[in-house]
Amino acid sequence: MHTLVQGVILGVLTGGVYALMASGQTLIFGVMKVVNLAQGAFVIASAYLAFTLFTQFGIDPLVAVLITTPLMFGIGVVGHWLFLRPLRREDATELSILITFALALLVEGILSITYRTTYRSINTSYANKAFDVAGFSVSAVRLYGFIVSCALLLLLYVILQKTRFGRAIRATVQNPQSATLLGVDSNRVKAYGFGLGIATAAASGSIYGLLFPFNSGSHYDLISRLLSVVVLGGLGSIGGAVLAGVIIGVVSSVAAVTWSPTWSEMTFFVVLILVLLIRPQGMFGRVERGAL
Amino acid sequence: MKLSKQGASPFFTRAGLTRGGVFIVALIVMPQLFPQHWIWNMMFFTVLYAAMSVSWNLVGGFAGYPSLGHAAFFGIGAYAMASLFKSTHILTNGWQPFFVMPLIGLGCAVIAIPIGYIAMRVRADVFAIVTITLLFVAQTLGYNLKGLTGGAQGAGLSVAPFRLDIFEQPFYFAAAFLLLLAMGIAYFVTKTKLGMALTSIRADEDKARGVGVRTTGVKVMAFAVSVGITGMAGGIWAYYLGFIYPQFAFDPLITIAIVLMTFLGGRATVWGPVLGAAILMPAQQLLAYYVGGSQIYLIAYAAIFLLIMLLLPRGILPTFLNKRRMASMATKGDLSGVSTSPVATGGINS
Amino acid sequence: MTELLRVENLTKKFDELIAVDNCSFSVEEGSITALIGPNGSGKTTVFNLITGYLPSNGGTVEFAGSPIHGQSPGTLYRKGLTRTFQQARVFADLTVQENLVVAGGGSWTNLFGRRITAEDRARAAELLDEFKLSHVADLYASELSWGQRKLLEFASVLMSKPRLVLLDEPTAGVNPILIETMATHIRSYNAAGVTFLIVEHDMSFVMRVCDPVIVLDRGKTIAMGNPETVQSDPRVLDAYLGD
Repeated sequence: MHTLVQGVILGVLTGGVYALMASGQTLIFGVMKVVNLAQGAFVIASAYLAFTLFTQFGIDPLVAVLITTPLMFGIGVVGHWLFLRPLRREDATELSILITFALALLVEGILSITYRTTYRSINTSYANKAFDVAGFSVSAVRLYGFIVSCALLLLLYVILQKTRFGRAIRATVQNPQSATLLGVDSNRVKAYGFGLGIATAAASGSIYGLLFPFNSGSHYDLISRLLSVVVLGGLGSIGGAVLAGVIIGVVSSVAAVTWSPTWSEMTFFVVLILVLLIRPQGMFGRVERGAL
Repeated sequence: MKLSKQGASPFFTRAGLTRGGVFIVALIVMPQLFPQHWIWNMMFFTVLYAAMSVSWNLVGGFAGYPSLGHAAFFGIGAYAMASLFKSTHILTNGWQPFFVMPLIGLGCAVIAIPIGYIAMRVRADVFAIVTITLLFVAQTLGYNLKGLTGGAQGAGLSVAPFRLDIFEQPFYFAAAFLLLLAMGIAYFVTKTKLGMALTSIRADEDKARGVGVRTTGVKVMAFAVSVGITGMAGGIWAYYLGFIYPQFAFDPLITIAIVLMTFLGGRATVWGPVLGAAILMPAQQLLAYYVGGSQIYLIAYAAIFLLIMLLLPRGILPTFLNKRRMASMATKGDLSGVSTSPVATGGINS
Repeated sequence: MTELLRVENLTKKFDELIAVDNCSFSVEEGSITALIGPNGSGKTTVFNLITGYLPSNGGTVEFAGSPIHGQSPGTLYRKGLTRTFQQARVFADLTVQENLVVAGGGSWTNLFGRRITAEDRARAAELLDEFKLSHVADLYASELSWGQRKLLEFASVLMSKPRLVLLDEPTAGVNPILIETMATHIRSYNAAGVTFLIVEHDMSFVMRVCDPVIVLDRGKTIAMGNPETVQSDPRVLDAYLGD
């Protein structure tokens, strides 16, 4: 029983990071109707950035978030302008998949040359510290990571609900045509929406780097996991992505402590299959057969 | 492709048969002209990858469902071959394993049916990531099902008992045969309603459903056939190497290469992927020779990929064919019905 | 006069927005019925619900007496219910002729047969001649003008000899001569037994071609009747001018 609860705690804390990463991915989907295959790569790139900032300048990765996030936002906007905007409308969806895939490869290639392929992790002073809460061990790193994830998700929520930019995004996600009629500049929204999605990747990268060892090839694993989370939550639903992140975090963590760590990685895959079989639109996704 | 005004669309045209014939002759003759081992080796890989690209094209090019994790099936075929070697004695003369190949292909195709059915219930971009997940799962299984695959230690097959001086040749011809099989299937698809159905799915799947096209069945069929051929390629490769490791059998670079070859040469055409393979494989060998190290591949691939997507999205062959078509229509004065609006400047595929 | 299509209490919500609100109406067999209403009244959404492109949040739809709720567009197509789209969806990568042939339906074994058989060619030729698209038969659909696309889309949904065709703004963006052509085609197919339900904004077209007319406003049916009655109905005037 104790191990079970321990597993749940661990799962919730880790789930927060997945929630953050997945929210960016599902946001990009909502705005551009394209699944960004490079999301994982940007998380890893940001993890490397945080790693460099830490090893070279001693900046704590969680603090580095303040640097990496605006930087990645900018990269996201520029990347969108360079690679995604010029697509002719007919081909857009199909080519977007491949373009984001190519971007992921580009990022992976650059990272592997810059950093080689050895696994890295960010070992801060509190990396091995753990708190004792009511008899359960709570790792400091995971707790801080969770707190930061929650804070950022809250920030995302505020941006989307309270700012004009956020409202424009939500309107575009709901109904792109009406949004344009209401005066929303769809190109701008797509560019900034994409940037915002990449920015969440940036923020989560720091946390990811603290929690898991990574190398340039880690984005494949990560994008697969993110897909499971996003599909469970429902494409386009940020709330769904958050909830799904925590759920999958808990399930995989419980599987790891009660069964085996290797096979717990399969949890993501199993969840994906189950969702696709039983309810492909996930928890909160829309069932639309693309009429409009 | 001009269709005759009366009667049904032809299965074979004189031009098509000629092209096919010349190609087969070239396949047989070319490597004989440069009988060095490294040439045979390079031609083997070129033809093998061409076969995989042509078959990938069925689901990634024609149907518009880019399977970005196709290497999973390559690896499954490779390990299937390896386990056959372990469990049975199929190595009497060196040729027996080649005859077992169709069984591997069939097996892969059969398991691909339920996988395809589940994976293709979703949009094409989600499908892409599902296949990446599949690759990742296959790789994990490859490392962890040690009893079956030997884990990170790899799996050995017996070395083929061919004479050393002509060692590569049987494998080359096996791969060439696979390529011809794949091209034959792709050709058949374009000459039947299957091709139109797949193209309609790529063009507008919901509309295709709306006009009664049997989208699910057709998609899954294309996927299964594509997987079958890829699995066979994996089997041949495993036999050629004699020893396989999970990181090479389930290497994402394999998928990336075949996707790139298909898109470079021209997706949704029979010859496009062959052209792409013929360009990229030697180029890759050259790059490896001068620069070495696998990391540069990624950037090179990614860069070429992006360039193609942005500048030549239809690939070399269709763009060239389209220009020729436009030119011939212009001289015949057939352009009266053609609109010059932006949406009309697409290329051709079918 | 039998009811070919019957919609009852159909509802569709997009989060808090109620696009279709307990909407009810019916379409008589053999009629050319119009479905009109101000922007945002839910007309296209109703089409999407009827033809299986969107799931509803309530209500029933009956086609030829049997419920068709939740059935896929493909199934409905085979039952004789087809539709066009506002944006003239055609298969850009197929030729005009192929666009028609691929919509011709057919069994599984058909798929392995020749790409275009002699019968396909004949049947398609009929439609191509009627719609005056013969001269562009070998062009790719992406190379057609807007008006030609609309005609092609219209022609392709007729390939399977349907009973009921839902047209979504057939005259949008189309020049007046072509509008007349469309009207002629609709009338002649109607005379041959095809029922039409048309979403339209072009009032003169509606007046000339359609009878009866159903009016939607904010997802509800507010009026139904022949064009003249509807035109002078105060509720209708209110809906169009009021907001």
